[in-house]
Amino acid sequence: MSDGPLIVQSDKTLLLEVDHPQSKECRAAIAPFAELERSPEHVHTYRVTPLALWNARAAGHDAEQVVDALVRYSRYPVPHALLVDIADTMDRYGRLTLANDPVHGLTLTSTDRAVLEEVVRSKRVAPMLGARLDADSVAVHPSERGRLKQALLKIGWPAEDLAGYVDGQAHPIELAQDDWHLRDYQQEAVDGFWAGGSGVVVLPCGAGKTLVGAAAMAEAKATTLILVTNTVSGRQWKRELIARTSLTEEEIGEYSGERKEIRPVTIATYQVITTRRKGEYRHLDLFDAQDWGLIVYDEVHLLPAPIFRLTADLQSRRRLGLTATLVREDGREDDVFSLIGPKRYDAPWRDIEAQGYIAPAECVEVRVSLDDEERMTYAVAEPEERYRIAATAQSKLPVIRRVLDRHPDEQKLVIGAYLDQLDELGAALDAPVIQGSTTNKERERLFQAFRIGEIKTLVVSKVANFSIDLPEAAVAVQVSGTFGSRQEEAQRLGRVLRPKADGRQAHFYTVVSRDTLDSEYAAHRQRFLAEQGYAYTIVDAADLAGPGEVNGPDWVDEPAD
Amino acid sequence: MSPDQPATLAAWLRTRTDEQLGALLVARPDVARPAPSDVVGLATRLAVPVSVDRALDELDAATLQVLDAVLLSPTDGVPRTELPGLLPDVPAEAVDAAVETLSTRALLWGDEELHAPEPVRRAVRYPAGLGRRAVDLRVQLPHDLPAALADLAPDERTVLDRLAGERPVGHLPDGTSGSLSPARRLLQAGLLARIDAINVELPREIGLALRGDRPLGPPRLRPEPELSRRDPAVVDRQAAGAALELLSRVVDVLTALEEEPAGLLRSGGLGVRDQKRLAKELRIGEADVAFLVEVAHAAGLLDVGGAHRDEWLPTRSYDAWREQDLADRWATLAWGWLTSVRLLSLVGQRDVAGKAVNVLSPDVVRQTAPVLRRSALSVLAEFPAGSGLAAPELVSLLRWRTPRRADRLAPVPDLLAEAERLGIAVGGVLGRGGRGLLTGGEDDAADGMRGLLPEPVDHVLAQPDLSLIAPGPLVADLAGTLGVVADVESSGGATVYRVSDGSIRRALDAGWSATDLHDFFARSSRTPVPQALEYLIDDVARQHGRLRVGAIECYVRSDDHGLVSQVLSDRRTANAELRRLAPGVLVSGLPPEEVLSVLRAAGYAPAGESAGGAVLTRPQAPPRAAGRRPGATAGPVGPRPLAPGDVGATVREIRAGDAALAARRAEPVRQVPGVTTASTLELLSRAVRENLPVWLGYVDAQGSGSQRVVQPVSLAGGFLQGFDEGRGESRTFAVHRITSVALVEAEDATG
Repeated sequence: MSDGPLIVQSDKTLLLEVDHPQSKECRAAIAPFAELERSPEHVHTYRVTPLALWNARAAGHDAEQVVDALVRYSRYPVPHALLVDIADTMDRYGRLTLANDPVHGLTLTSTDRAVLEEVVRSKRVAPMLGARLDADSVAVHPSERGRLKQALLKIGWPAEDLAGYVDGQAHPIELAQDDWHLRDYQQEAVDGFWAGGSGVVVLPCGAGKTLVGAAAMAEAKATTLILVTNTVSGRQWKRELIARTSLTEEEIGEYSGERKEIRPVTIATYQVITTRRKGEYRHLDLFDAQDWGLIVYDEVHLLPAPIFRLTADLQSRRRLGLTATLVREDGREDDVFSLIGPKRYDAPWRDIEAQGYIAPAECVEVRVSLDDEERMTYAVAEPEERYRIAATAQSKLPVIRRVLDRHPDEQKLVIGAYLDQLDELGAALDAPVIQGSTTNKERERLFQAFRIGEIKTLVVSKVANFSIDLPEAAVAVQVSGTFGSRQEEAQRLGRVLRPKADGRQAHFYTVVSRDTLDSEYAAHRQRFLAEQGYAYTIVDAADLAGPGEVNGPDWVDEPAD
Repeated sequence: MSPDQPATLAAWLRTRTDEQLGALLVARPDVARPAPSDVVGLATRLAVPVSVDRALDELDAATLQVLDAVLLSPTDGVPRTELPGLLPDVPAEAVDAAVETLSTRALLWGDEELHAPEPVRRAVRYPAGLGRRAVDLRVQLPHDLPAALADLAPDERTVLDRLAGERPVGHLPDGTSGSLSPARRLLQAGLLARIDAINVELPREIGLALRGDRPLGPPRLRPEPELSRRDPAVVDRQAAGAALELLSRVVDVLTALEEEPAGLLRSGGLGVRDQKRLAKELRIGEADVAFLVEVAHAAGLLDVGGAHRDEWLPTRSYDAWREQDLADRWATLAWGWLTSVRLLSLVGQRDVAGKAVNVLSPDVVRQTAPVLRRSALSVLAEFPAGSGLAAPELVSLLRWRTPRRADRLAPVPDLLAEAERLGIAVGGVLGRGGRGLLTGGEDDAADGMRGLLPEPVDHVLAQPDLSLIAPGPLVADLAGTLGVVADVESSGGATVYRVSDGSIRRALDAGWSATDLHDFFARSSRTPVPQALEYLIDDVARQHGRLRVGAIECYVRSDDHGLVSQVLSDRRTANAELRRLAPGVLVSGLPPEEVLSVLRAAGYAPAGESAGGAVLTRPQAPPRAAGRRPGATAGPVGPRPLAPGDVGATVREIRAGDAALAARRAEPVRQVPGVTTASTLELLSRAVRENLPVWLGYVDAQGSGSQRVVQPVSLAGGFLQGFDEGRGESRTFAVHRITSVALVEAEDATG
């Protein structure tokens, strides 16, 4: 019996014991064909899905390597049937190939006539195919390339896409690595993406996804369309690109509600693209406005459905998805994979933290007991009102204040979902509030003031969930959220994970009302963080010690002198 | 025929040595029971068609071809020396071996000239794949057969060539169309014989003519199939992987059935709805459910039970089984499967009415299944470790070994696939466990598998995301407990459990307290218990209110807390096993009657409390079916092999009977059984007096008749004491079972 770090389960999940001496090499061996599903403290869970196996095939791994990795590192004998199944699944890839025929254009060709017959007869696939060229190939309309690949994937005969990518209009872009260098994992992510052609890179917030995007652009050296969640984040991209690449202000355009610039590198918001007038998408032309060589999707887990459909038409262009978490509350991860491309790189958050690239974070859940009046209100409330009542309870206020008092010298964010509550908090804490209705100009001003330390505390609504770079924020206090949304939790944590100048620890507090829906949702969200390796500490509000007291924050938290 | 050669089968048998007769009995055990009285009796038994068929069924194709050579010879009796000439392509050793095999089984007799007994001729319907003679088929053959054959159209010739191959009988195609099919034209030409409405047979003469100088067809040598070779260590590991998977799945299925038993169909078996439910619950295929349920049933772990005997439930042996170590558990399953009379591959197939056969349905019982399984897998056991045969090669080898049973080989590929799922074989190569199973049985199987399966672990790893990982198979009681306090998320080599508020609530429902849970997790987790888990327990426990529902038998309560404390600290009540649940309430795991009597004996005046105000909770034991006793599963399968002692005794008996027959001089006194005639007694008493041997016709308690030579010692009380010379033993004969008596002259009896 070997003593490997891996346990292979019947449902094709792989359990990797992290503390095992071989765990690092084992992780490297299984990463190409298994999705990292959970990475809590001791045992990480990977899942071997058909999609992951096919991606592995696409990346040049064969079944033998997969089987060998499983057998070599497995602690217990691996059922033969499972290995056979894996080999069979991988064998399905590549029976069909999509390629450019000099005469007929895009064609679907098969080495296995029976498979082609099955595919041609499939109700789902048949409408996307053109004329039958001969016994082994069939014509495909170029615009159906994405949808066809998606449909073939669903019926279990993934096509190997050899049709390649258009280079797009060339545009010189270089990384300006004068006083900084691409980190190893960022370089690996870019290499992984570029070798695969298209795909998604998963990195934790604060780990420098923008730089991965910039490096990919430098690799493509072509006009680039960058899709972002909102204007503020778009401007952040612009700043980063100017600072880190050879691009100048004039080369980067903003395509948003306020401005409609199309330049060699154009940053557009999801919102403006999906804006409809009289039932029509008005800004779809953007995709054809330039011969884009690369399309970057920031926060790809938020990609709205209409863009999915558009993306299907863009299969001949290189696509890079960036995200901190591929968890989609709508469960459409598969669509992301099939339309943007497979996951090309991911790493457990804790690994990157251990390398010092993101700040170590302490997660604390503070439990507040509601007073009797609030409990009564909660008890008699309508079901749909209950969460709001629990989340915005007045009893939270003193606790929030005490939490903030623990960190007098830090930059602090208070994050909530209910505007009334935020306004109230802003007044009580004497801190500015940023919410949906705050103008971009005002936002920029406040963020800037926060960055330079003029403002110590900011109260923000969910507009700040995404893509706001506030490197100095070291403390986040979450007071209410969008029900049990896991990715919201991840994004909010991401706000404080940017590495601090002096390597300080970050703090992430969640203030919840005890024994209510609030704490149930909190538990749901936290499970996600726990799966990412962040252990929560739970404290009662009454036990929350101030600075310097017993159980209070350590001296480590204080700025180093 | 040379004059010194025996003229009949019986005479030939008499010339055989004791060893040869013994070998005959071993090879054809059905003729040995009850012991034939003498050689003539033995010869008669050997002629019984069923016995002949059975003996022929066990022969391989090469041996049968040698037999065919004798059967096809125009004269009765083929000189031994001519035989190799009839089979020019077969090596002489192979012919010798075949003759030896056939002679041993008395399917051929004679030493220099080989004869086939008439029953053997009858049993081989198409010797060497040739049809009957034209005369027997009442066909008038053309005068010039070679010319007629030469004139045939190519399509007609194709038909004839095919019928001249392995099987001389063929279907007549539907002949509704205008033009005659080649077969019909041949029929008209008298080259084929019609044997019934749709079948035709090729007369032997035509078959021989077509075969030319190879009248017996191509030589049927032992096929040398391509061996599958694998690294034995890899095979063992993969087999162990399958075994591990099987073990955890069987537990999953039975646990699911324990929680919600499946109904017994009126036609027997388990309903499709239950099968689908299990598949969904366990996230496995429906066919997998069928397999696991059948294997569990074959091993006696699942049977019909319940109050009305209408449910499929885990049996009591299941509880014992779970306590065993993994290798023993596996051996139980593998042995159950090997000896099961149920042909698993039939489950799910459609019967003639188009209805799919249900899981556990009685319709799939095939008494030949265990023999088939064993014979198929035994072939694999003959190869050295690390080599074996894939299904098609195995089937072709089996087809050569038992060509007359070729029709029974259809399930072999399925059997092999099942053996792979069980971890007996991998890719047609037996693992260590599988080899042990076939060569030694259940214990050897367990020994073979031991060391390949992981040792059970007694701890879990608790993680902050509220999952518990058992990094290997768990010891039984921990597995049982975890099943209560957590939900299984994935199983296999390890088990991933998920603790949720639901599972904690379930544990609390089952009588656990928050403290118990904290203790349990602290004790069984090798990693520190995450704070989130502790809070979860406390939260749920608090939500659970102040009510505690525990798995206890009874309680003791009083408003007088002092009295309660007194009872608890009273040494005399120690036997009541009381513990304090709350101020004023004690509980005990003992039944109320016992606690009452202990308290009474200690001088208290307790009163039983009924449902008035409080509920008496009695945890019910999980339901169990009575199940079968292990070993009672496999019925008698084929004739029981003869022990070496039996063989010797039977041969001696036949010899003795024969000697008695030969020695028989004086007219025996015939006796109707049960009626003691004066002359019998007189003869016997004279023999005792004068110390003369007698031959006795005797029917033993089992009803089999025998003839023996006995040296009488005494005659008293209706019993004759004497020394049985043939069998070399002293014994007592009941006079009323003696059917005939005659005096023997001394030199004849011993000679």
